[in-house]
Amino acid sequence: MNPDVVQAAAADPLYSRYFDALLAGDGEQCRQVVEAWLERDPDLRGLYEGLFRRALYAVGKMWEHGQVSVATEHFATAMTERMLTLVYPRLFSGRHSGKSALVTCAANEHHQVGAKMVADMFEMHGWRCWFLGAATPLQEILDLIGDKRPDVVALSLTLYFNADALYAMAEAIRKAFPDQPMLVGGQAFEHGGAERFERMPGMRHMKTLQELGAWIESQEAHVRQ
Amino acid sequence: MSVNDRRGEPSPGNPSPGDGTAVSAAVFAAVLAYVNDTAPVLSLRLDADLRITAANALARRVLPEGAIGRPLAESVMDFGATVDVPALVVRDGNVHLLTLKTAAGLPESFYFRFFAVDDGVGEEGGSATLALGGLDFAEQLRLRGEVLTLNRDLNNLTRQLHVANGELRDLNGLKNQFLGMAAHDLRKPVGVIMTYGEFVLEEAGAALTGEQRGFLRTCIDAAAGMKLLIDDFLDVSVIESGRLRLDRAPATVAGILATAGEFGAVLARKKKITLVLEPPEPGLHLQADAPKLQQVLLNLIGNAVEHSVAGQRVWLSVQRDANELVFAVRDEGAGIAPADQQRLFAPFERAGTKKTAGERSTGLGLAISRKIVEAHGGRIWVESTPGQGANFRFALPAGDDKETVKDVKR
Repeated sequence: MNPDVVQAAAADPLYSRYFDALLAGDGEQCRQVVEAWLERDPDLRGLYEGLFRRALYAVGKMWEHGQVSVATEHFATAMTERMLTLVYPRLFSGRHSGKSALVTCAANEHHQVGAKMVADMFEMHGWRCWFLGAATPLQEILDLIGDKRPDVVALSLTLYFNADALYAMAEAIRKAFPDQPMLVGGQAFEHGGAERFERMPGMRHMKTLQELGAWIESQEAHVRQ
Repeated sequence: MSVNDRRGEPSPGNPSPGDGTAVSAAVFAAVLAYVNDTAPVLSLRLDADLRITAANALARRVLPEGAIGRPLAESVMDFGATVDVPALVVRDGNVHLLTLKTAAGLPESFYFRFFAVDDGVGEEGGSATLALGGLDFAEQLRLRGEVLTLNRDLNNLTRQLHVANGELRDLNGLKNQFLGMAAHDLRKPVGVIMTYGEFVLEEAGAALTGEQRGFLRTCIDAAAGMKLLIDDFLDVSVIESGRLRLDRAPATVAGILATAGEFGAVLARKKKITLVLEPPEPGLHLQADAPKLQQVLLNLIGNAVEHSVAGQRVWLSVQRDANELVFAVRDEGAGIAPADQQRLFAPFERAGTKKTAGERSTGLGLAISRKIVEAHGGRIWVESTPGQGANFRFALPAGDDKETVKDVKR
């Protein structure tokens, strides 16, 4: 196991239990940890950043370092999606602040769980959020942006080899909607590569869910003023 | 069943000599060790009766418990007893598809090749067979891709469902809020219309013509009907918003029945119907919100009266049954068709039978009654045979603390 992972696991016994269960494919144990975590801290933002994102990034790193197979990595992703559905009853309400976001990821991207967590972050802050999975055709995304005029479009990238596809999508959105604010983020940018996205006018790179949360809150403050 | 005609590869027992594929004994031993310990291939040794006599690490992990030492046929999935395993185990080097039972419970299909083993290890009645079974990785990859896609789509749909549920919960809350506010604000003016209408009728009635008095009476009756409707809406908005609070206190069954009977008798008398109150067993009591239970009983008595004709009777009774108190309101009316009996307790549902005097109602009374009974930890139901009246009953947990009775009496 790489040193980052060992250090992260050692820091929090609950995280360590979750991470071990995730690698072992023990769904029941994962569920128990999620419930224990929420009992300790009911704020879903902490759960998403401190457990889900952290564990998925760690598994991703292990995969990059040849320490786990792609099957294990896919399994951990699928398990995380399952855990997300456990917390959905606490997450969604029809009350929205009036702000809205559209979240999507590159076509071919199997790893949409990151995009979904970003969408959930917007929901946690009371934003109306349209989440479009990886299989959504570009034209449909453009039509929805035109129809809903969201306050922001967020693009998620997990694997860097999908970066060109995502960049092409961002360019198409920029061309159709020159003033549309956009965000980009995801594990793919852990090793850099966000610069060309950031050079696009109106595009910002969010490094973590925490940073995204702070950005969302700054937009809310802007509205209140 | 031969799935392709690939053949001619060297069997591990017979390295091909002199054609560039020959391997040294050391390499062969390493390959054998790999197959035995690590390779993603099932390696089975079968005796002349096709019994599994040895298996590599993967096979020991994958095959059902106890498979080793038993005939291979017992591990083969054979849905119609049509798979002739001995006929399949042809040591021709061709690929044969066999679906095996596994320890994990999921069957798995392996592409097998069978080879004769002439290693001199004694097999009575014929030589041993080496069976090597592998997976089709392209097929596995397609399957994994498909499962991931399906899982992704399923999770997206689940997310959409939760989003929609959240919106529906909020809309329902808004509906209840609106219903509560509208009902609350309408209640007072309707009360004013009724009261002042009665004043006018009482104080200026003599100056009015009979027709004018009739008009005024119709106005007052319509306002009274509207007030009932508004009261039901208020109840529903309180119940649906989860704000139904029971004010439970020790109460005697006799007291609850007496109050409900007193008000019920007024309703019954208007239609010349007799309300028969059967005296309950002395000393029965329970922890309950008595006014709310009286509301339920009055609703049931009201329904019974509305479905009865002059001269008929309505019975009000309570019986102790094991740990429950079963309240009953029985009538001699037209009864209720079996198909209607279940849905009666849902909001806005009505029985197919008509009320005998064309009385109006909101269709909310039984739904409200059910909520009140359930909030007390009870259940409500109806027993009826069309043409033989209806018996509405609800059961509540009985209180059996004698001290409580004393408290009530004090």
